[in-house]
Amino acid sequence: MIESYIPILLIIGIAVIFGVVSINLSWLLGPQRPYREKHSTYESGVDPVSTAHYRFSVKYYMVALSFIVFDIEVVFMYPWAVQFRELGWTGFVVMSVFIVVLAVGFIYELKKGALQWD
Amino acid sequence: MSSELIVFLILAAVGVLSGILMITRPNPVNSALFLILNFMALAGLYITLHAQFVAIIQILVYAGAIMVLVLFVIMLLNLEDEEPLREQMSKRHYGSLLVALLALVLIVQVIGWNSGGTLETMREQSPHALRIGTVEHIGSVLFTEHVYPFELTSILLLAAIVGAIVMAKKRFP
Amino acid sequence: MVPIHYYLILSAVMFITGVVGVLTRRNAIIIFMCIELMLNSVNLTFVAFSAYLGNETGQMFVFFIMAVAAAEAAVGLAIVIALFRNRQTVNINDVNILRW
Repeated sequence: MIESYIPILLIIGIAVIFGVVSINLSWLLGPQRPYREKHSTYESGVDPVSTAHYRFSVKYYMVALSFIVFDIEVVFMYPWAVQFRELGWTGFVVMSVFIVVLAVGFIYELKKGALQWD
Repeated sequence: MSSELIVFLILAAVGVLSGILMITRPNPVNSALFLILNFMALAGLYITLHAQFVAIIQILVYAGAIMVLVLFVIMLLNLEDEEPLREQMSKRHYGSLLVALLALVLIVQVIGWNSGGTLETMREQSPHALRIGTVEHIGSVLFTEHVYPFELTSILLLAAIVGAIVMAKKRFP
Repeated sequence: MVPIHYYLILSAVMFITGVVGVLTRRNAIIIFMCIELMLNSVNLTFVAFSAYLGNETGQMFVFFIMAVAAAEAAVGLAIVIALFRNRQTVNINDVNILRW
């Protein structure tokens, strides 16, 4: 029942506590003597011009797009892999058709040059 | 109160609050992060319903893939904040809020608060619930009874790849 | 135990939150995220019924909805990118050329 998930809850709790504590501890323990130059972006360098935000290239979108599609593919492969022996050859054929159709999409993506970096 | 009810109430509160925060933040990045929190709460709710595999997939696909894509696009476009919601509150917005509230009242009325109706028989989870959420059971059902929609999914994803590349590519040859 | 009404009402509240977001926000990406929220509240209903009825069809539906949501995210965000490239805006009030 739900009590059997307590170990997972503990791991999540430990992860959160570790993250929060280890970030804040250095702030707490370290000496703090701030002055204006120290807070500038480059303490001993050029002054920054314009904002730090700039537009990403659409190339990143293409990579994320392929990731999302093949992520879905892998999600469907988990239960197939677990039941591989029970499903036998029918399962194999079903999965092959699925992968071949998505491979067509992947080949289209390559041919279109969507994954080329320049 | 049973432990199930306490867990449910905590997760429900996180889900509703993060949903409301998501639609009220002016900055799209904050909205996206609150939506991820909402997905996490939903994954927890799936666990309370003994749907373990769905819960993991929820985090893998939604929080891990779809929201990454959304955040990429937000940074790709580098949007400024919308003007705060209060300034743009017009007659139309109050109207839409009213309509949404009425719809909520209607849905809750149809569900019924706690008694009566056909849902009365579903006061607790079926004894099969523990079995049907496992990866083994989902695998054996998905690839036997639901093969046809499964294969159609691949066509859908193919169409999505082709469509997205055609629309997002810089220059058409 | 928690009766199914609780899950259904939670799902209704989250769905209506998404509806309010779609109706009040003007940023196309945020509207898109609100649609994801609505899809997820429907998923919650499916999984709740699946658990309370002891029938796995609801969970199958959730997988296909997730695949549809991924396809929708890919195409929808590509539309947003194409829109921004042509009009330099994602505010849907500025995209009214088809409105008569």
